[in-house]
Amino acid sequence: MLTRIAFRNVFRNRRRSAITLLVIVFGAVGLILFGGYKQQTFRSLRESTIRSRLGHLQVYKRGFSTHEAKKPLEYGLDDVAALRRAVESDKRVKMTAAQITLMGLISNGDKSETFLATAVEPLKDRQMQGQRMVAGSELPANEPDAVILGRGLAASMHAKPGDYLTLMTTTSTGSLNAADVRVAGIFMSGVKEYDDRAVKMPLIGAQQLLQTKKVERLIVMLNDTDDTQAVRASLGRALPEIEMKDWSELATFYHQVVLLYNGIFGFLGLIVSAIVVFSVANTILMSIFERTREIGTLMAMGTTRSRVARMFLAEGLVIGVLGAAAGVVGGALLAAVINRGHVMLPPPPGYTVGYPLRMLLSPSILVTAAVISIITATISSIVPALKASRMKIVDALGHI
Amino acid sequence: MLVNLLNVEKSYRLGSVDVRALDGVGLDIGRGDFLALAGPSGSGKTTLLNLIGCIDKPSGGRVVIDGVDVTAVPLHRLAATRRDTLGYIFQTFNLIPVLTAYENVEYPLLLQNVGRRERDARVRRWLDHVGLAAQAKQRPDQLSGGQRQRVAIARAMVAEPKLVLADEPTANLDQDTAAHILDLLEQLNRETGTTFVFATHDPAVMSRARRCVRLRDGRVCHSERSEESPAARDSSPAARLGMTPLFA
Repeated sequence: MLTRIAFRNVFRNRRRSAITLLVIVFGAVGLILFGGYKQQTFRSLRESTIRSRLGHLQVYKRGFSTHEAKKPLEYGLDDVAALRRAVESDKRVKMTAAQITLMGLISNGDKSETFLATAVEPLKDRQMQGQRMVAGSELPANEPDAVILGRGLAASMHAKPGDYLTLMTTTSTGSLNAADVRVAGIFMSGVKEYDDRAVKMPLIGAQQLLQTKKVERLIVMLNDTDDTQAVRASLGRALPEIEMKDWSELATFYHQVVLLYNGIFGFLGLIVSAIVVFSVANTILMSIFERTREIGTLMAMGTTRSRVARMFLAEGLVIGVLGAAAGVVGGALLAAVINRGHVMLPPPPGYTVGYPLRMLLSPSILVTAAVISIITATISSIVPALKASRMKIVDALGHI
Repeated sequence: MLVNLLNVEKSYRLGSVDVRALDGVGLDIGRGDFLALAGPSGSGKTTLLNLIGCIDKPSGGRVVIDGVDVTAVPLHRLAATRRDTLGYIFQTFNLIPVLTAYENVEYPLLLQNVGRRERDARVRRWLDHVGLAAQAKQRPDQLSGGQRQRVAIARAMVAEPKLVLADEPTANLDQDTAAHILDLLEQLNRETGTTFVFATHDPAVMSRARRCVRLRDGRVCHSERSEESPAARDSSPAARLGMTPLFA
């Protein structure tokens, strides 16, 4: 009966209830859209970070992260072929890619700049699709002295595909070495600061320049990101001579974005909740004012204070449930429409390309939006419910 | 005695003025009484009814309901007494607008946790008794004033209270409807033995009461007892209302 009375009272003043429901619906839709956008952003950023740069795991020689190397590749991996066989024997591993990072000076004869090079296995690097070519070709598979340059660095060096530049760096024995390289292509990663210094070169070419057979790390790509910790544990047990880092430890920018978005989402949630609280509380307070005599009658008949309070809490709950249901449906539909609309957003800070506006509609987002709406609406009715339950019966019956 | 009022006082503050609504009222109400509290506006009859109904506290004196001294018990702890011992009939009917006639009558039984089957039987019996079986699914705003008051009577009676308190039960009804309602209440009093106490200034109600207590300025100024009223003897309430008596 309590629920029946609550439900019917919600529809007693339809216009007022409709406005309150609309507030909850808008709130829920806002939470769903922003939550979906947030989830999609996290997922896209995570996967692009993993697939294009970090891999799911990075394998190093034990001591790499704890000891300060005196010379380049002092803590490099010696027998990468054997290590690769051992790692790739796990069926969850999709592929491995050996890499070296090195720094030095790049010169066109007239001008020198510092560079940050990543030496890669060209065919595997193409699979990772970490960059977009804007001129020339990808890194050739069989040309040790070919390089591709970041767009900013190429512009600074006035270099175009086919030009020759000189790379100079410190070898693994601590001496200086230089090599002439051919610019095969120009790429952009999307991160301007990186593109202003970036060089990609074949692993063999880098080993020749550094005068070593070692590699710095082995990037491990998995079929499924969710397997990261399990594979890490498994490899850790099988290969005690190595140390590992997973993508999460290396993805600083990803975590900054997550932190920022969660903060914004939390703040948005607070604002939405505050609006819902005031709206629902106002509706129920108005309702109580109009029904004062009715409350007096119920209490005169023997209805307890707690039952009266529960009746108004139930009204808040009913409003919350109806608003949440409509909000979830509305939010899901709107998200689907936006996803089909292929709306492009401008580049975020530090990026040079825009990205599509998409919302990932996971059940957890819909449930969270619904639960927040319902809980907020119910909480908003606590004060009005207590006010109603503490009315003096005589005064309530005499209310006009 | 069902109700004992001992030197009851009630005063309250109205702005900066202390108003003495009841001033040393002493009154005993027996089981099965059909009693009218009469008096002009402001005489204290509604205040007295509220004290008997455990919805207000006296400023002094004692109120004993069915052997229990309720004077010192906080009002919110008297919900069970109001639910099980008392029934209310209001001048403005005070039905719950979102509930149908059936649900309004059902409500007190839900408070008493009466089982579904028994609840249904009792609600139907009382709606039938007040002649509103056909209007069971109608909401108060679809009923006439007389019909609403009959729903209110069924609601007050369905939980089988020992005492029904009626505050000006005929004030919002036309003369014929008021007479029908009084017939019905008289019939219920006779058949069920339920005690009825009215607060009224309607001479028709006073003339039908077997006992009339007159109040003036918060004091009992006159109390008279009569045998069954002529009106009750001269007509058959069941016949006039077209109802089947419940306790035939």
